[in-house]
Amino acid sequence: MDKILCSPTFWLCISIFSFSIGQWIQRKTNSPFAQPLILATIMVFLVMYLTDTSLDTYNASGGAFIALFLTPATVSLAVPIYHKLDILKANFLPIIAGTLVGSVVSIVSVFALCKLFGLSESTTMSLLPKSVTTPIGISLSDMFGGIPAITTLSISITGITGTIALPFFLKLIGAKDPVQIGLSIGTASHALGTTRAIELGETEGAMSGLAIGIAGIITAIIVSIIGPFLLAA
Amino acid sequence: MKYLKQFAMLFFCCVIGDILSVIMQGKLPGNVLGLAFLIVMLISGAFKTSQLDSASNFLLQNMSILFIPSCLQIFEIYADIKNEIIPILIICIATTFLTAFSVAVTVHIVYKLQHRQAKEAKHHG
Repeated sequence: MDKILCSPTFWLCISIFSFSIGQWIQRKTNSPFAQPLILATIMVFLVMYLTDTSLDTYNASGGAFIALFLTPATVSLAVPIYHKLDILKANFLPIIAGTLVGSVVSIVSVFALCKLFGLSESTTMSLLPKSVTTPIGISLSDMFGGIPAITTLSISITGITGTIALPFFLKLIGAKDPVQIGLSIGTASHALGTTRAIELGETEGAMSGLAIGIAGIITAIIVSIIGPFLLAA
Repeated sequence: MKYLKQFAMLFFCCVIGDILSVIMQGKLPGNVLGLAFLIVMLISGAFKTSQLDSASNFLLQNMSILFIPSCLQIFEIYADIKNEIIPILIICIATTFLTAFSVAVTVHIVYKLQHRQAKEAKHHG
């Protein structure tokens, strides 16, 4: 039995199977709370708990193989950005100004609130990239002593908030332009919010998708520059 | 063979990103630099999207599953962070609204300035 529990194929199978069940539950419930990633994580954890498997064993047997594809997945974000190059050129100023200001506001407000609540340094560094797409967020968090799990959790909470509340909130504050709505959703709530933006309209979806990559790059640059100063603060 | 070639190209960009990150003394993560490198290659025409489409679509469509290992860490550290869960929730939700608000206002201001400039140019013309 030990041989099976240490086998990469076993944990790959459990992970993919759990994720597929998560996707099925999401399709059936159509709820933004039913995130396949969260459901799959709970299912994999349950199997680990029942089989008394440690996280180190999981990572050594299968987990590391799954995580290996995170970097090429991030690099792949270049393709949708390239496909939307015409939209980027046509709306260059609003896109760059919007994502830049949004990224700065996100980082500064997260840092200020973390200080206000007296959160630990590692939690603060984990939360700073919470508005960007997960692979970029995780590497930024890791670079500055954050905890990738908290980053992933905060990115999920942010995405769910964006999916549920941002279209209504933007309507409430009088945002009517599709470019404005798409950029706001994509910058504030990355890929999860984009799934909702796509439902609002083609321009909203395209802008939101574009904002994921641009805001990710901008946040990476800002956090890389100010991260060491924040750590010293 | 198509997938092998396409994945090889993506991993090549990852390696270049990592090399650039080392050159920059780790100031930017390798994956972001790899992403920037691929954008430059696509714009310059050195790479074509048809050489990458299948592998990149596969990764982008199934990206969530790649985060299971990092999410599992939450159960390991839960005891250490359980007192911070409520503040984390408040911070994530509040700053999401604040970020969206700031983007909406900025785009509105940029559009207004662009319209004014266009009007002035028309007026002078």
